[in-house]
Amino acid sequence: MSELVDRVAVLRDEVLDAAGGGSSDSCAELFEAVLSALTLGSESVAGIEATVQDAVSRRLAWGASEVQLLADNAWVFERLIAAVERAFRDHDEEMVVIEAATHVSVMVSRAIAMSGVARAAHDRAARVREEMAQRQLRDAVDKQAQQLAGRSSSRGA
Amino acid sequence: MSAAVAVEAAGSTDVGRVRAGNEDAMLVDVELGLYAVFDGMGGAKAGEIAAQTARDAFHFYARRHRDELPEIDLLENALLHACAAVYDAARADRNLHGMGTTAVVCFIPDLQRPRKAVIAHVGDSRAYLLRNGRLSQLTRDHTIVAELVARGMISAEDAERHPYKNVLSRNLGARFETAVDVVTADLGPGDRILLCSDGLYGYASIEAIQYLLGSGDAPELVAGDLIELALRGGGGDNVTVVVIDAGQDAETGTQVVRTSGAATLWERRAEFIAVARQQGLGRSPLCRGLPTDEAIELVAGSFCEALYHDLEKSTGVNVWTFAQNLGAGWLDHGGDWQVLRGVLDILQAASVAVVDSIRADDRRLGALLDIAVARALIVVELAVGNLLADRLRSVEAELVDLQAVAAAAEPVTEAGRSLLLEDPTVPFLRATRGVSMAGASVEIAAAVDESVTIARAAAPANALLVQRTIAALEAIAVHGEDPAAVVAEARELYGVRTLDDVGLQPLFAAVERVRLLVTTAVHQTRHSDAIKAGALRLISTCHHRLVATITGIILDAVAPASQRLKEAQRATSALRQELERLERQRTESDRFAAEPATELTPALSPDEDDARPHGEGDAG
Repeated sequence: MSELVDRVAVLRDEVLDAAGGGSSDSCAELFEAVLSALTLGSESVAGIEATVQDAVSRRLAWGASEVQLLADNAWVFERLIAAVERAFRDHDEEMVVIEAATHVSVMVSRAIAMSGVARAAHDRAARVREEMAQRQLRDAVDKQAQQLAGRSSSRGA
Repeated sequence: MSAAVAVEAAGSTDVGRVRAGNEDAMLVDVELGLYAVFDGMGGAKAGEIAAQTARDAFHFYARRHRDELPEIDLLENALLHACAAVYDAARADRNLHGMGTTAVVCFIPDLQRPRKAVIAHVGDSRAYLLRNGRLSQLTRDHTIVAELVARGMISAEDAERHPYKNVLSRNLGARFETAVDVVTADLGPGDRILLCSDGLYGYASIEAIQYLLGSGDAPELVAGDLIELALRGGGGDNVTVVVIDAGQDAETGTQVVRTSGAATLWERRAEFIAVARQQGLGRSPLCRGLPTDEAIELVAGSFCEALYHDLEKSTGVNVWTFAQNLGAGWLDHGGDWQVLRGVLDILQAASVAVVDSIRADDRRLGALLDIAVARALIVVELAVGNLLADRLRSVEAELVDLQAVAAAAEPVTEAGRSLLLEDPTVPFLRATRGVSMAGASVEIAAAVDESVTIARAAAPANALLVQRTIAALEAIAVHGEDPAAVVAEARELYGVRTLDDVGLQPLFAAVERVRLLVTTAVHQTRHSDAIKAGALRLISTCHHRLVATITGIILDAVAPASQRLKEAQRATSALRQELERLERQRTESDRFAAEPATELTPALSPDEDDARPHGEGDAG
């Protein structure tokens, strides 16, 4: 298996378009996740999941959007499938790589979806907090305006 | 050896209220002066194993080399040893791959005369020092968000609310070695060190932690109280604390407060009630429904009694219960928040007035009570904050329900589909990037058909979601050159789901199951390897696009939440500016009213006043 991993690793520049300047950290992390899946084999779903979750969380924490990650996921998957089809002569090996790439792609999609949902819940709670703050601010603004109006009318009198 | 030890320590750990297992580990070795907290991470049991492996390896190394190495080197090397141990364990077992742990460790070299503590850490488990009632953080979190703050890319306030604030930039076990941060703290009598996992500070305010640590209770009691505090805050994570007392203070102020402080405050109960009355407690809408005197006695008297009991026992449970009952009783009957806030302010003002009066008679006792009462008032704020947080959670749940109902009522129209495609979230939904059997050879198309048939037969007939996913995959394989077909299939499969774990996990589980079924089916067909590879490539691409499109639909559905939050933030900001403007205007008005010159020189108009040379008016 390690030979197969090495052969896929050789495709890194082609898949990530490093020469064309198209590579990004998130694409590189996703490519690493596929290599990791190939190294671990299909028995260790928990291990691959931890790797994928870590990669997705790290990219989101650094400020990448979920949409951008989803696009990167599609980019890496499609380019890897094309690169493997071109470079591999052994179809058994090609199928192993396709399976690993699809597995990682599905896991990444799920991690992105769940992150999006979690973020939305966070945003909704933050909005409720904002609305409560607005209510208090509105009360304070009304109070100030009334006081000012009272003073100007008493001065006028 | 233990008889001469001046340092006392105790630790406690709890699984929390959400997690199934405890992935934290701790170490309290009072004889060697070694204390540690580890917070493991990884799938299945991996986190638990990572934390325990790190703890055992750290303890083994530190015990062995305690007398040979300088303190800083000892901790650094022991943590690197622990890092290598976790890394090796992860490599040896595929199921443990990716596991890791945080670590915060403390070493007090001289246990008879503790003058110094050496603290090392990796990750976001923290060490705090309590000195003279003030809590300071000794460690800096190794998280990406902390890194963003350090680089000035986001503010500390944004970091607190950052959805990915817990993503670590370093841990033990992800790599063979890692960078360890080490700090040294000088210790004095009465100092207290706290080591904790994020399950504590993530669910309890720093003020509340400071309050409990400063209670003067024994470390084992404080450790238990801190765990209880985190559980009251939601207990969303495993929580572990280690409390280390670096030596006894000459005289604890807590004892003074518990005895003469509490008694003196109780003696001034009548004064407390009188101040509350003077501050307008009787006029509060919260006191309506009862005769004024009775209502004041009930609210102010009960609070004073709760305060007395808490001072006497050095706890916060009585004022906490008082505030929760008062707040819940008022808000449950539709009471306004401002009114509750007003009553709390009056009670705070009465407390401060009574303490000031005690200080006038006995300066030291007054100063001690000042701190103790301030702590109790913080507990009141926390209790009310907790109440509001509960209400927020219920509002949040209602909003989610309303959104689900609205989504269910929204029909999926052709117009809607075309709108989705005008600005696709996923790049391959562009019309130029279709995929289907249209371009595949006859043999590959036949292999795909056969694979789908085998997969459908292998799937349980009652697993409806799995059967529907296979049907969607087949439809995309046939009509996938039209991106709208992918969207339509994904939309249909997505159906009406709540946007949470309960709604989405079954869908993703079905999709993953279909992937395994179809992949196995491709291998079972009787075609050549080249045809099988072609079929697998086509089906996998369809599968990938189906899942990515579902994810795109989910992201589209949650996108308005961020937009609405931004709008709400803009509105709050505008209101804040308006309030500032009015406050400035009022200040100007106050100043204008207070200036006698305006009354004495009515002949000068504002313009004429401005026209005078600078200093002329002052000199006059």
